[in-house]
Amino acid sequence: MNRKATRMLLRGALAALVISAVFAGSAGAAPVWKFQGSALTGSETVVGGAEDSAMTVPGLTTDCENFLYDLLISNSAGTGQGEVGEVPLFDCGTNTEVCTVDAIEAEELPWSSKLTTVSAKPYIVIEGIRVSVLYGGEECALSEVLVPVTGSAGGSIDNTTESATFSSTTLSATGTKLKALGQSITWNGVFPTEAFEWHREQALTAS
Amino acid sequence: MKRHRTARVVSTAMLAAALTALAFTGAASAKLVGEFTKFQHCPYNTAEVNRCMHSLNTGGEVILGTKKTPIVNPVTIQGGYSKPVKRISKFFGATNGVTLSKAAQPVPGGLLGIVPPEKSPWLVKALSKFFFENSLTGVNSVLELAKSASDIVISEPNLSEGIGIALEMPVKVRLENPFLGKNCYVGSSSSPIVWKLTTGTTSPPGPNTPISGETGEISFLEGGRILQLNGTVLVDNSWSAPTASGCGGILSFLVNPIINSQIGLASAAGKNTASLKNTVTVATVAAVKANDAENP
Repeated sequence: MNRKATRMLLRGALAALVISAVFAGSAGAAPVWKFQGSALTGSETVVGGAEDSAMTVPGLTTDCENFLYDLLISNSAGTGQGEVGEVPLFDCGTNTEVCTVDAIEAEELPWSSKLTTVSAKPYIVIEGIRVSVLYGGEECALSEVLVPVTGSAGGSIDNTTESATFSSTTLSATGTKLKALGQSITWNGVFPTEAFEWHREQALTAS
Repeated sequence: MKRHRTARVVSTAMLAAALTALAFTGAASAKLVGEFTKFQHCPYNTAEVNRCMHSLNTGGEVILGTKKTPIVNPVTIQGGYSKPVKRISKFFGATNGVTLSKAAQPVPGGLLGIVPPEKSPWLVKALSKFFFENSLTGVNSVLELAKSASDIVISEPNLSEGIGIALEMPVKVRLENPFLGKNCYVGSSSSPIVWKLTTGTTSPPGPNTPISGETGEISFLEGGRILQLNGTVLVDNSWSAPTASGCGGILSFLVNPIINSQIGLASAAGKNTASLKNTVTVATVAAVKANDAENP
């Protein structure tokens, strides 16, 4: 009887080990930041400017000619992490004749970010986003209305072009959502990245 | 001679009156076109008014005590409002006086449901018999403003963000049936039902439990000049209702208590619900005026 109990205990312990190994395997599969193919140690600041970034609610698209950002990246517990420290936004407007953007500001910085994998592809998820947009134009329906855009956003990382792309597809894939005026909004943008400190001109990838 | 002169004076006065009436008719008929026609009764020439609003309530229900009345006939709320101060705007009633349109909603169960013969004294039973025998048993409930339109309070930010009170309205409910007379009301100007409607989540006293409204889907029309919220649901289930008054004409002293007993009036906060599905349309006064000026 004692031997049987010992055998059962051993089997249980073995099963537990196998399960934990499987979970460790998935955790280990989370992407990390790499420069020239080697995992980043310490931290690095990457900067960039958005290409073709726009926020849309039906009938009104808002975009900025200058949508810059800096992101402090590091690897922690086998996963790429980051903090969006600054997001200067300039020369913003809308696709309408009557609505202007009188002020726009990224708030409650830094926004945290992490790398994740969806369908074997690397993604970056930015959380705690808050951008306030003050619309103007006396005939604009949103004139003098301060619209907070809040939520989180996930973008797919293209290691070839060293850029992150945000769209309704990538937000959906990562289960993230940006809200304004009480509802989900569409945000599209391509964000090229470039190391600004120790790893200048080195290829940045997430894998 | 004197008669002729008098006739001329009268004719001239009538002509002047007719011309004046025509002039006023001309001024009152707005030249708004497209989606802006919704704002034809907005007081956009009132200095303090900053935005025009038109809200079409096309569904939902009102639970007053034990009576649930679905909204089957559209109700319009329209007017204008000022720039917000601490998120709250002053409301200005519609220029045609119809800030809240009077749409009759059939009350399920009709007269039998609110004045049942078996629970009525012999006098009420005898008089109501005629109405039952002649199929005059349908009862409509009509929502009316209990106070001036200026007592309405609106918060556009709360409406679109789904937080706090979006629309506060003092109302009364008129129960319509020939037997009930013309002055059968629940609520009055001195004791109104006050709806504090939200697109967020309520926190009512029991036995009601929290319910949530919806901000609706936003869209911009007329090149960003008009904001429309489709499927906005405004809710409040924390309001109280007073007893019925004026029901049954001279028999009101007998009929009011029957209605109160049947509906459960006065009905304490936490026993009543308003849930209103709307399409809300908003534009700035500048946009409405520009549309008006472009279409003389």
